[in-house]
Amino acid sequence: MQHREHIAGIIFWGATVLSAGVTLAVLVFMVILSLPIIKNDMILEVLMGPWSPDYGLFGILPMIVGTLCIALLSLVFSFPVSLGCSIFIEIIRPGKPGRFLKKFVRLMTAVPTVIYGFVGVFLLVPHVRGFVSHGSGMCILSASLMLGLVISPTMILFFSQSFARVPKTYLNAVDALGGTQFQKFIYLLFPQAWPGILTGIILAFGRAMGDTLIALMISGNSVMLPTSPLDSARTLTAHIAMIIAADFGSIEFKTIFLCGGILYLLTSFGILLARFSAGKQN
Amino acid sequence: MGKNVWDMLLGFFAWCCAILLAGSMILIIGFLILKGYKAISLELIFANTSPLDALLFKQQVFGGLFPAMVGTFFLILLSMGFALPLGLASGIFLAEYAPGSIKKIFSLCFDILAGVPSIVIGLFGFSITILLHHSFNSQIFPCLLISALSLAFLVLPYIIKTTQVALESIPLLIRLTAPSLGATKLENIFLVLLPASISDITSGIVLAIGRCAEDTAVIMLTGVVAVAGIPKSIFSGFEALPFYIYYIASEYSDQSELMKGYGAAIILLLICSGLFGISHWGKNRLTAKTRFNY
Amino acid sequence: MKKHTVTKWIILIAMFMITAGICSASELDSFTGEKGVLRISGGTAHIPVMKEASRKIMIFNPGIQITIAGGGSGVGIKQVGEGLVNIGNSGRQATESEVSRYGLVIYKWAIDGVAAVVNTGNPVKQLSGKQLQDIFAGTILNWKALGGEDRGINVYTRDESSGTRAVFWKKALNKGIISGKANFIVSNGAMKSAISNDPYGIGYVSVGYIDKTVHPVRVDNVTPDLDTVKNGEYKVVRGLYSNTRGDASGLTKKFIDYLLSPAGQEIAVQKGFIPVN
Repeated sequence: MQHREHIAGIIFWGATVLSAGVTLAVLVFMVILSLPIIKNDMILEVLMGPWSPDYGLFGILPMIVGTLCIALLSLVFSFPVSLGCSIFIEIIRPGKPGRFLKKFVRLMTAVPTVIYGFVGVFLLVPHVRGFVSHGSGMCILSASLMLGLVISPTMILFFSQSFARVPKTYLNAVDALGGTQFQKFIYLLFPQAWPGILTGIILAFGRAMGDTLIALMISGNSVMLPTSPLDSARTLTAHIAMIIAADFGSIEFKTIFLCGGILYLLTSFGILLARFSAGKQN
Repeated sequence: MGKNVWDMLLGFFAWCCAILLAGSMILIIGFLILKGYKAISLELIFANTSPLDALLFKQQVFGGLFPAMVGTFFLILLSMGFALPLGLASGIFLAEYAPGSIKKIFSLCFDILAGVPSIVIGLFGFSITILLHHSFNSQIFPCLLISALSLAFLVLPYIIKTTQVALESIPLLIRLTAPSLGATKLENIFLVLLPASISDITSGIVLAIGRCAEDTAVIMLTGVVAVAGIPKSIFSGFEALPFYIYYIASEYSDQSELMKGYGAAIILLLICSGLFGISHWGKNRLTAKTRFNY
Repeated sequence: MKKHTVTKWIILIAMFMITAGICSASELDSFTGEKGVLRISGGTAHIPVMKEASRKIMIFNPGIQITIAGGGSGVGIKQVGEGLVNIGNSGRQATESEVSRYGLVIYKWAIDGVAAVVNTGNPVKQLSGKQLQDIFAGTILNWKALGGEDRGINVYTRDESSGTRAVFWKKALNKGIISGKANFIVSNGAMKSAISNDPYGIGYVSVGYIDKTVHPVRVDNVTPDLDTVKNGEYKVVRGLYSNTRGDASGLTKKFIDYLLSPAGQEIAVQKGFIPVN
């Protein structure tokens, strides 16, 4: 009996270590495979320069900027809408309509991102192109609009949860003092739920940075540093997808591991930040 | 009176947001269905081959969705085969065996893994392929096996987290009953705790299956191809539904191919929402069955 | 007399059909009894021919599985060189260094051109060579400078792995710059979709791919189509190659033989290319 218990314990422990090992292994592989760039002292050039392989330039700065721009803009679009929806769910209509919207939002998480990309190409891009005075419609703006929709469920569910966590006694206190819904929100709910809201924002931002398909299909993938939301841009994720086809030995190919490493570090940093801020609400 | 205006504004803002969100989604799904419902037919899936022959693998299907659907199916089967045992065992460890500090470290680890972009996971799978190709067997290429393995890495954190949370939320009363009657820890886990949390775990597993069905970035780097037919072995290339949709969107050669793309998108949407629905419904029904009245 | 002549013709035609039937059957016959997997990747222009040929072969012999991936000419060459695929297609000839590094053997089975294309709704349908270079370099930015609408020109180009891009850059643009602001597209098919959807776009695509959804640009008074490619008037010409590591053998060799056979060449013609045989 004891023996079996012991073996089982070791198996479970081993499985966990193996799983955790994967997390570490991903980072290790990215670092090891980008080493040639670091060894050749090209690291600064690659991180800061432009991308032009015909002329021997392998800088991924345009892609880093592209990723950040698209993620930020999608956050700008998505935050107000997500906040409004979570207010709707928790405060304005917590009854049937609220529950319905919540179920609807949950269902949204089941929609594959390739569907958003597909519809984006055939519905959104032509309209953006027609609406705006120049450009092909494949730009940061289009990608951010679609991406905003993708990350909204994450934020809405997080925000709703944070509002729901505010102790009922506090809410009752505000009611007893004759406060309006608006005052309740501004002075109680929002400040109390703020750590949870921040966590939601950080996680959504990480999600936006890590998305591949929408950027690949809608953002145009040009290699120039973008200067306006109507410019075509390329993200780190789309860059990896496009370059994976190229030569194994070349520096061009090695840069995608650097891209992978940067993405890993950025999202992990986001997770740590989110953990920290989530801890604050508790 | 001034206060009421603010209340109204808040309500107005909230309603607008809700309508904007719901409206956009309905626009997207509606557009898809409107454009693609005409394409849904047996011909979309099986093209010129008779469905019975195709299902029995007697004949290959050319120009239909069937190979992609089979590819996605095998992908799900294989990746869950990898991820389930590993994920369940890790979840059990974290919930039942790990002391506080270790639990925190591992939890953080898995949160980080969950946050890693899918394309980086795909890149990882691709690098493993290169490593194996050069050092072990030069017959190893990106293939169904590698893709399934990489997808397993992708969904592992979800299964672990679901199992862990499900086990941890079992009431103390149930948790202590069997041991107090002399059962061992292992017996408690397998005979009491797991069955008690089966609904939550299952719904988590179904969601992970949905994730496997819809992912494109990972398989793009680890073995999915444009044309492959039914995969003959786990070491061969394969087709998959989400990749098919991406491929059609970027390079359809005529209207009929575009229609196939719309049809495929609708089918994928149905599969994923179906899985979501199963996980939700299954959760409610199983919870009802295993509810302990006390 | 007339009756005999008619009979003669009937017999002649019948004999011709029987012989033709035997010939076309025999090209696929070489695949009898074969089993296994054939992996093909590389040039995207080749894909329609690859798909059709593999369909015929797989219907004839279900024991064979042929997988086809795209990726561009660069991918095809690297992957076949590294042993990841059996056949690597390329739309440009492999360079000497590539041939010597990987021990490549090149098989050419069709001739094709690369043409600049615009949307069918675009009034600007012809350009001079210099104008073409300026557009792609980003010096000419608006269609109105060329007699079209007052809209910015949306340039579409291919990724660096593309053989189509290499040929267009070398022969049509005289190795001029391609603007970094261009939208990057990953295959011939995708380029065609992009241009057919964008009324203000310009890109370049394999001549064999051109159909009524896009319009080839007449450059220096030569319209790119199959005839001008064949008779040499249109200069931006390239071959469609299949590369193998070392001499082709087994299933690979049979596939390449099939491509070069009358049946295979017929498929190439069907898909809009010029046969080599």
